[in-house]
Amino acid sequence: MPTADHGLDVSGLAGRAGSFNLGPIDLGVAAGRVLALLGPSGAGKTMLLETIAGLRPQRSGKIRLAGADLTGVPAERRRIGLVFQDAALFPHLSVKENVRFGPRARRDASGADTDSLLCQLGLSQLASRSPRWLSGGERQRVALARALAIKPGLLLLDEPLSALDQPTREEMRMLLQELLAELDIPAVHVTHDRDEELSIGDDLAVIAGGQLRQTGSVSQVAAEPIDQDVARLLGWSELGNGIAAHGTVRTGQLLLPGTAPAEMHGPVHIFYRPEDVLLGMPARDSPAGTSLTAHIERILLTRPLARISLASDPPVTALLLHRDVERLHVQAGRSIEATLPPGSTRIFPAT
Amino acid sequence: MTAAASGKQARSWPSGWFGVLMWLLGGLLLAFIVLPIVRLATTSSVTSLRHAADTAAIRDATLLSLQAAAITAGIATLLGVPLAYLLARGTFRGRGLVQAVVDLPLVVPHTVAGIALLFLFGRTGWVGSPATHLGVSFYGSQWGIVTAMLFVSAPFAVNSARVAFEAIDPRLERAARSLGATPWHAFRRITVPLGLRGVLTGAVLVYARSISEFGAVVILAYYPATAPVEIYNLFLQSGLTQSASAAVMLLIVTLATFLVFRTLAAGRLLARVDRAYR
Repeated sequence: MPTADHGLDVSGLAGRAGSFNLGPIDLGVAAGRVLALLGPSGAGKTMLLETIAGLRPQRSGKIRLAGADLTGVPAERRRIGLVFQDAALFPHLSVKENVRFGPRARRDASGADTDSLLCQLGLSQLASRSPRWLSGGERQRVALARALAIKPGLLLLDEPLSALDQPTREEMRMLLQELLAELDIPAVHVTHDRDEELSIGDDLAVIAGGQLRQTGSVSQVAAEPIDQDVARLLGWSELGNGIAAHGTVRTGQLLLPGTAPAEMHGPVHIFYRPEDVLLGMPARDSPAGTSLTAHIERILLTRPLARISLASDPPVTALLLHRDVERLHVQAGRSIEATLPPGSTRIFPAT
Repeated sequence: MTAAASGKQARSWPSGWFGVLMWLLGGLLLAFIVLPIVRLATTSSVTSLRHAADTAAIRDATLLSLQAAAITAGIATLLGVPLAYLLARGTFRGRGLVQAVVDLPLVVPHTVAGIALLFLFGRTGWVGSPATHLGVSFYGSQWGIVTAMLFVSAPFAVNSARVAFEAIDPRLERAARSLGATPWHAFRRITVPLGLRGVLTGAVLVYARSISEFGAVVILAYYPATAPVEIYNLFLQSGLTQSASAAVMLLIVTLATFLVFRTLAAGRLLARVDRAYR
């Protein structure tokens, strides 16, 4: 991941909370870029953010921001904006007082900035209101304004959208995208939502068990997960066990030529992306993949994509747009051709 | 606005035989508490109360009790709030032991507490001896009264504030720190205002417990006599009827000041402090 003088540079960062060990972790985020941090519950995402923010002690390693070494610098002097999952607004202060808390604590005379922030985030009408009477989306906007009011050198977002309902989440996601695009500072956005990771993040880091498992650009990590855990987190589905030999993998009645590295031999575990599975006759100009013909076992009209389960060996599920369900005459019991295009499968040595 | 939105929870009252049984047993306890007070109050006439109020010894003892209890509440709050915060936030080794020590005065008989305090704060005690050389005597002085009151009532200040601090989301303090607040600033601007109701409730409980203290006070500082000690002396010297008027007067003063402090703690004072913190 690219870093620059104005970015965040973490090297060998380690921490401990009870019996849980974090790191050592190395990561970098350049100014103006957003790192999406993805991981399951208990992976150490929040702990990593709080350690970077100086709210938890670090056992070793270095944290540099805009070239300055923050190791040992108290949290209040790091100028790192932190937005919590449930906003963590001060309930005894009004919206405006929440936003002004940081500048006042730092003795910054930036009242005008506070007003313009409130206006920019559509909070002017709510300035005198207590946080108790705000909706989830409004609370997160206030939390964002509060974090931005200190003119942070780094923005840490700890699942700020996860507690919101779907329409509010979409609205906040767009707002975040706009704001982060305007800011010329590095940002780390913790999420367990793949849509968020794809839409907000420029780069992606996957964390599990306190260790960074994979980092890279969002598209690269999403397309090439390095192990089974990362693949599951990124939404890949298990196709099943197979045998690899000379670059070809056999699983059930399927042969997947060219999917395994030539040096990989023996038992393997196969993952695929249901959204990549093509149903119906493939277009003539589409790249060759692995095709099979099977009966449609079940159709689940979930939103936004319908799930089509095929009675194949191994079982395959395809995700389809609802209009394609009608266009392709997808009906339970009917036989249909399915294709796993190149790049839609990942092969890992069986463990 | 819904009931939940207005902050009020709908209550489900027990009904049928279950409700009757609950009310019967609860009512017995209520009667047990109220009847002695009512019986005491009805023994005294306005004239006898006026006579008790005009008696210098009773009046001075009552004022001394009020003063000592108020000072005790202040000291207990000042020293108890930091300990409460440490217990609420700390994950240090020995936390359970510290909490047990805080609760110790609740289980020690108060006369035993008085004797223990006398060993420490008496004229030859570890603290009392050097203090006497500095001109401060705990034995038979107002300092002794406050010391005895503080020992038996301090757990109320610590525990009430601790419960209040534990109810505050620690992420609020972390958010304050990330915004530039020092630990002291975050404590003063976030934790104390949000826990103020518990802190003030603790202070009121300390006051109420202190003003009624007899056992520890009578051993460490028999003189000057506090109101409970003076009433006990009257009971021994003049009998039940004479001591009843003084007892009712103390009861009225105690209840009145308790209600005033409690009302202030619950409402107006909180609102004023809340505004001051903004």
